[in-house]
Amino acid sequence: MSNEVNSPAADNRITQLEEKVTLLEHKLAALESKNPVLEMQHVEKHFGGVHAIDDFSVKIEQGQIHGLIGPNGAGKTTIFNNITGIYAPDAGKIIFMGEEITGSSPHRVAQLGIGRTFQNIRLFSNLTVLENVVIASGKDATYNLPQAIFHSDKYLKREKLLYDKAMNLLEIVGLQDKADERASSLPYGHQRKLEIARAMALDPKLLLLDEPAAGMNADESLELVEFVREIRGHFKITILMIEHHMDVVSNLCDYCTVLNFGKTLAVGTPAEVKSNPEVIRAYLGGNE
Amino acid sequence: MIDAFNNINNAVCSFLHINPYIQGVVVLLCINIIAILGMAVLTGFTRLFSFGNAGFMAIGAYAAAILIVRHNFNFLIAMLIGAALAGFVAFLLGSLTLKLKGDYFLITCLGFGECVRVLLNYFKDFSGGSAGFPGIPNYSSMLFSVICAILAFFIAWRFIHSKYGRNLTSIRENEVAAEAVGINAFRFKRMSFVFSAVYAGWAGALYAGYMMYVVPTNFALNKSIELITTTVIGGLGSLTGSVLGAMLVTLLPEVFRSLSNYRMLIYGFAVVLIIMFRPNGLYGYKEFSLKRLIKKLKGEGKTETRKEAA
Amino acid sequence: MFLQQLITGISIGGIYALLATGYSLIYSLLDFSNWAHGEFAMLGAYVAIVFANMVGVPFLVAALLGVCGGALISFLCEKVVYRHIRSTGAPNMFLMIGAMGLSTIFQQVANLVFTGQYRSFKFKLPVSTIEIAGAYLGVLDLISLILTAVILVFLIYLINKTKFGLNVRAIACNSRAARVLGVRVDRSIASVFLLAGSLAGVAGILYGMKYNVFPTMGNIGLKAFVASVVGGLGSVPGAIVGSLLLGVLETMVSGYISSSLRDFFSFALLIVLLLVKPSGLFGVDVQDKA
Repeated sequence: MSNEVNSPAADNRITQLEEKVTLLEHKLAALESKNPVLEMQHVEKHFGGVHAIDDFSVKIEQGQIHGLIGPNGAGKTTIFNNITGIYAPDAGKIIFMGEEITGSSPHRVAQLGIGRTFQNIRLFSNLTVLENVVIASGKDATYNLPQAIFHSDKYLKREKLLYDKAMNLLEIVGLQDKADERASSLPYGHQRKLEIARAMALDPKLLLLDEPAAGMNADESLELVEFVREIRGHFKITILMIEHHMDVVSNLCDYCTVLNFGKTLAVGTPAEVKSNPEVIRAYLGGNE
Repeated sequence: MIDAFNNINNAVCSFLHINPYIQGVVVLLCINIIAILGMAVLTGFTRLFSFGNAGFMAIGAYAAAILIVRHNFNFLIAMLIGAALAGFVAFLLGSLTLKLKGDYFLITCLGFGECVRVLLNYFKDFSGGSAGFPGIPNYSSMLFSVICAILAFFIAWRFIHSKYGRNLTSIRENEVAAEAVGINAFRFKRMSFVFSAVYAGWAGALYAGYMMYVVPTNFALNKSIELITTTVIGGLGSLTGSVLGAMLVTLLPEVFRSLSNYRMLIYGFAVVLIIMFRPNGLYGYKEFSLKRLIKKLKGEGKTETRKEAA
Repeated sequence: MFLQQLITGISIGGIYALLATGYSLIYSLLDFSNWAHGEFAMLGAYVAIVFANMVGVPFLVAALLGVCGGALISFLCEKVVYRHIRSTGAPNMFLMIGAMGLSTIFQQVANLVFTGQYRSFKFKLPVSTIEIAGAYLGVLDLISLILTAVILVFLIYLINKTKFGLNVRAIACNSRAARVLGVRVDRSIASVFLLAGSLAGVAGILYGMKYNVFPTMGNIGLKAFVASVVGGLGSVPGAIVGSLLLGVLETMVSGYISSSLRDFFSFALLIVLLLVKPSGLFGVDVQDKA
């Protein structure tokens, strides 16, 4: 009788059930939240005398792909850094899934379910592709130090789960063949995909993409657009992205917010925003 | 109990024809290995540089010595307490100083190490002062030391190849990204620091049982520097590399006895040359792997460009 | 008595300052702690000793040669070792480890060539004292103090008012931008090493005049390191303030509490200060752009 409980079939079943529970949790959260996934209220951030962000507010609904656009220095990455806790806002509130996260530390924000990528890709260069994703799955590594040292059952099970999940993610993004290669040896476009896959390992409800198409040519950008759409479709996730390439924004974003000098200039669909005279002036008039 | 261990040791050693001189070298090697393994985790895998781990060795050594000699503690328990105490102090110190930038953290560790030495010198009634603390029984037999070293390596290996080691490595590679994937960098850095301190304390306690007499100058700044440079020589990011480094640093001087006057000079040159030309150390990031070694040996003499792994 | 201690403290602080300023300059340029700095002072002192005691030139000439010696060693370290390490793209810690290796090499060479014997300058140094406000000030200390002050004032002038100083400060801020704007970065770095080495040479000779010359005297480099950190790594005025603070504190502790606890108080001060002001007294908190 006790053997059945410990058989590999039982383990598989447990893993499957766990995955189902996670999926159900997501669906439940989506259903029950009439709440926007992310809400920023009157957020301000200054450095010295400069107002990097000035009275910024936004509401991002479940399942949206929301673009954050504006000229260089408009404060877009600063907004990301305020959300993910690298900076604490000087004023205002940031609310994620109904919970206030203003000023929380970066690792806490990640654990709560916000994943992000960086403008200059930040991978763990000397580690393998697989390890990059495994590290992000720390949530599932619920064993403690003695269990790790003595390779207890719990440890072995959890490690297998971690690695399987990571491989799964790699398969979804198409990088499974490169699992054992050094992350820094990947071509640029694949590194970006890896960064996104790694962020997805957090089981996030919100994904922040900081200029995902940076440094890519037209073809690569197109591939990226498809990729991001697939990610949103597969994982039913909300995405906030900073992007410069207007065609990426037009193709991908449901809504966007235009920033200039830390202030909101316009909010709307890409089409609406593109034809807004103030937006046009901000981009074309004045120096970059 | 010490006598029991020592008797077993003597039996084994005479069976294997290992004379006391070699026994002594092996003991020193094991002590160095344990201390270096701690440094490997801290410096190799987390990229934190501490110039004060000799201070933790001193804590472990003196704690064990005082407990055994003055309070008749069992030597195993005394060693455990010594190592744990070192870890505890590291926990407190790290909580305060790990928020500082690299160079600043380094110097607080240095300051700590020096403070330990100065305080041990000053409180003569407690520690014996600069004259040292004598009368420690010889519990660091070769057998016991080897067991300790193997155990230390086993624990470190398991530690590194689990989520703990992975998280530390990710902090080393890119701390901002590590935080962004949910890793509390401060907590793990502190864990790494405590780990290195526990191992240093362990090594210190073993040292006390070998020398049978400890003096504050055993644990001066030079010792901390030696720990760091040996770790670098062996390879930052490799446990086996660190063991190799420890072996080189401990055994080569024994082999080249005639050059003993030039030992430190050669050491200095080795550090400079390695950091200039092979900064990943002798082993770099990779652990020793039998598979890779065999592949390498098989691939010798062939002119093919690459062989896919079987 | 208090005045006496104060003046002695300032005097030793001055020597630390000569080292700490060079140290901070190098740090501000290259973001690394030159662990071998104390050895520049030691070698400079030995060069002076060799020329003064063995070759027999007049003291001032020997001293000058000692200063040049310090400058030369410093320059060679940069040219041969540090530049190479930088060119491999290695992290800054590796530069420091290289410096540690060099420090060991220099100490060992000095030990092998000159043995550990304490040496002093052969010629007669002034040992008379002057009385000021009830305190007895050694003429030697006075000369040392004045010399140090003059040099430091000159250094501050150099950094703040000359083109060379401007270049150095530009590189310290942003070496890439400086290079693009036409600053000869490598040459400026080499010049800074020459400067820092000269300062170290002076420090070594002054120290040797007051105390003795021996292979491990480079350990005052450690004091200079502490002083630089207290003042804020990379800040020249900070290094001066930190050095004076450290010198005075050490002397006061030695005089009023216990000379064996001297180092303890110095390091305790360091740790407490860093906890309150993490980048030192004059240091700047730099926030990393994510």
